Amino acid sequence: MKRPALWSVVLVAGLLSGCGSAGSGSSSDAADDKLVVWDWKSGEETAASYIEQAKADFAELHPDVEVEFVAQPFDQYYTLLGTAMQSGKGPDVMLFNGGGQLRDRTDALLPLDDYVAEDRKRLAGWEAFTAEGKVYAAPVTLQGHPIYYNKALYEEAGLDPEQPASTWREFVDDCEAIAEATEASCLSLGNKEGFGIQFFLSGLGPGVLSPQEYDDWIAGDRDWNSPRVRRIFELWKETGTAGMNNEGASSTLLFNDAFALFQSGKAAHIVGLMSDVGHWKDFSEFLDEAEIGVMQAPRAEADAEPVLPYDGGIGYGVAEWTKKPDLAADLVRSLTSKNALSAFYADAGAVVSDTTIDVSGGGQALGAIVSEIETGKPALHVALSSKTLELMGRLSQQILSGSTSVDDALKQLVDSDRKG
Amino acid sequence: MPLRGSPPAAHQAGDGWADGTKAKQRTRTAGFGAHGARVRGGRRAERLAPYVLVAPAVLVIVAFRLIPLLMGVNFSFTGDGERDGQAVGPDNYVELFEDPLFGTALRNVGLLVLLLPVAVAIPGLLATFIYLRVPGHRFYRSVYFFPAVLSPVIVGAIFNLLLAFDGPLNAALGNVGIDPVDWLGDPDVAMFTVVGVHVWATFGMALVVFLAGFSTLDSTLLDAARVDGASLPRVIWHVIIPGLSRTIQFVFVTTMIGMLTSMFGLLYVMTSGGPEGSTYLPEYYIWIQQGQMNRPALASAASTVLFLLMLVVGLAQIGLLRRAGREK
Repeated sequence: MKRPALWSVVLVAGLLSGCGSAGSGSSSDAADDKLVVWDWKSGEETAASYIEQAKADFAELHPDVEVEFVAQPFDQYYTLLGTAMQSGKGPDVMLFNGGGQLRDRTDALLPLDDYVAEDRKRLAGWEAFTAEGKVYAAPVTLQGHPIYYNKALYEEAGLDPEQPASTWREFVDDCEAIAEATEASCLSLGNKEGFGIQFFLSGLGPGVLSPQEYDDWIAGDRDWNSPRVRRIFELWKETGTAGMNNEGASSTLLFNDAFALFQSGKAAHIVGLMSDVGHWKDFSEFLDEAEIGVMQAPRAEADAEPVLPYDGGIGYGVAEWTKKPDLAADLVRSLTSKNALSAFYADAGAVVSDTTIDVSGGGQALGAIVSEIETGKPALHVALSSKTLELMGRLSQQILSGSTSVDDALKQLVDSDRKG
Repeated sequence: MPLRGSPPAAHQAGDGWADGTKAKQRTRTAGFGAHGARVRGGRRAERLAPYVLVAPAVLVIVAFRLIPLLMGVNFSFTGDGERDGQAVGPDNYVELFEDPLFGTALRNVGLLVLLLPVAVAIPGLLATFIYLRVPGHRFYRSVYFFPAVLSPVIVGAIFNLLLAFDGPLNAALGNVGIDPVDWLGDPDVAMFTVVGVHVWATFGMALVVFLAGFSTLDSTLLDAARVDGASLPRVIWHVIIPGLSRTIQFVFVTTMIGMLTSMFGLLYVMTSGGPEGSTYLPEYYIWIQQGQMNRPALASAASTVLFLLMLVVGLAQIGLLRRAGREK
């Protein structure tokens, strides 16, 4: 009887010790000469040469340090990251979307101000990675929401493709002309995930808010009850009631069904992106590059001054728990080096954070976007917390279906935004 | 090999008593003291043996199930974000029950329970037809099972295409003059759509269970009913359903468990909880709070509520099965 008892004790002890060490096999405990990076980009083909360049740049500084990129699926990324943060162990360097996703997690990140001081001028888009005056990640791309339009459909509808609407009235008229002459819808809207309203707010908001109100909004002084903010949501409702959107917008995915609608000429306009996907290069796969136009937000209020809404898109930050903060910060700098970012622009067509890179070969649409970067401002929706954004997604669907009024939606959003 | 210890020791002690001479007796008695200790030790070992043998299983359950469960419950009374790690009392639970989205998720669980009879009746009815040998029953038997081998993600992706607003189903409806329905975009319709797809994807398994039940059905009863001129509905109601009562109960329980625990994949792919949050289930809510909102403590509170809910449903089902067993 003693031996089985002994064996079971050994077995149990083994299981328990296995349990105790379950979380400790993380990268931070690895040898000193290894850094682990988590992201969702490095596995993509278009990012391959970017990662290679960044690694090469880093290897020049620290030839003995091994860098391991772990590409996580984007769907699961923040869930996995949340688990790592909860245990205080995980990668040394990690990729973030700018705005709420980063700001919600700053207590797990190392402030980088001292490390990236030299890069501050060269790179744009820091705002989205800054919280309470401290920088927590270095921007890789710029992400913004230009309004793309299909010049071929404009011609078909008898409109001047070089003169897109500059006021909301004209825009609605153009939409009517397009509806009459073509099969296409005026706007391509994918709001299944609730992203459509975010893009709408940021893409068309600059044509509604006064410059002062816009800046206040970004600075955190948001008056949801102001007539201008209400106007944005009323326009949202109007696009639905006036039939400007594609049908079934609440069951259409923005990524990538709505983009596909625009790409295939079934919609004349879309509030798109600047980098990675849903951007000029993506669209030019099916549309001729010369057919893709970029327009400013049509003015719905006379004193609005439309600007390109953009922020830092994605950026790499350093984990607060890393044992090698200096090395990790150097890696972040390599990941935002000019060579690496040039490669990213060349392969993915991404509008990168480095404003000194020459983009003259990128076609008309890109030219139009880049020329507006200097005067651009942060996008309206990026300033909101992820909780408010999620609520706004649901409410926007309710506004379109008529089950909630604009007033009621704004009331709920005020509450959520104040709590956040 | 491991049982060599105690029984032989008891034997030797017994032999000692049977033997005669004093000298031997003395030595044996001395020997008996040692043997007696071994006997007592052996008895103790025997008494302990069952505990030692179940210990690994118990410890695994305690270490990997109960302790994490208690840690999770404990965690649900702490805060998120700035209040990380601080005790906040029932704040998370208060927030949870004030959140209309969680209310929707719980209501949807209720809806699933209400839809359960439909989800059981469909495979039951189809199995009946197969059992009654409708033309082509062999073909249907294999075809009906086919969706059960597909993963929810694939099923969801297929139905996303079929049910898209500009998809083939609406096109077909249009051909016969019916207005298109936004199957996944209308909050009043979407939950039923997803449940319908879930039933389509999983009824094959229940069908097989029903067919197995039919094989135990006494065919003479059916013949007798037919000879008496009973119509099909009457045969089903008076002969088949009473004969299959245990099978039906079993399918009820397994379908309920399936609906409450394995809808996540479909919801994730087909509606992402939308439109307007109308297709949230507690599981999906937990996932969103933990992963997207960075609120692990709130997610723990929601998990605890879901656990209690499942406990109630589970106990009710066990009670139901016990009662059914007694009746038998």
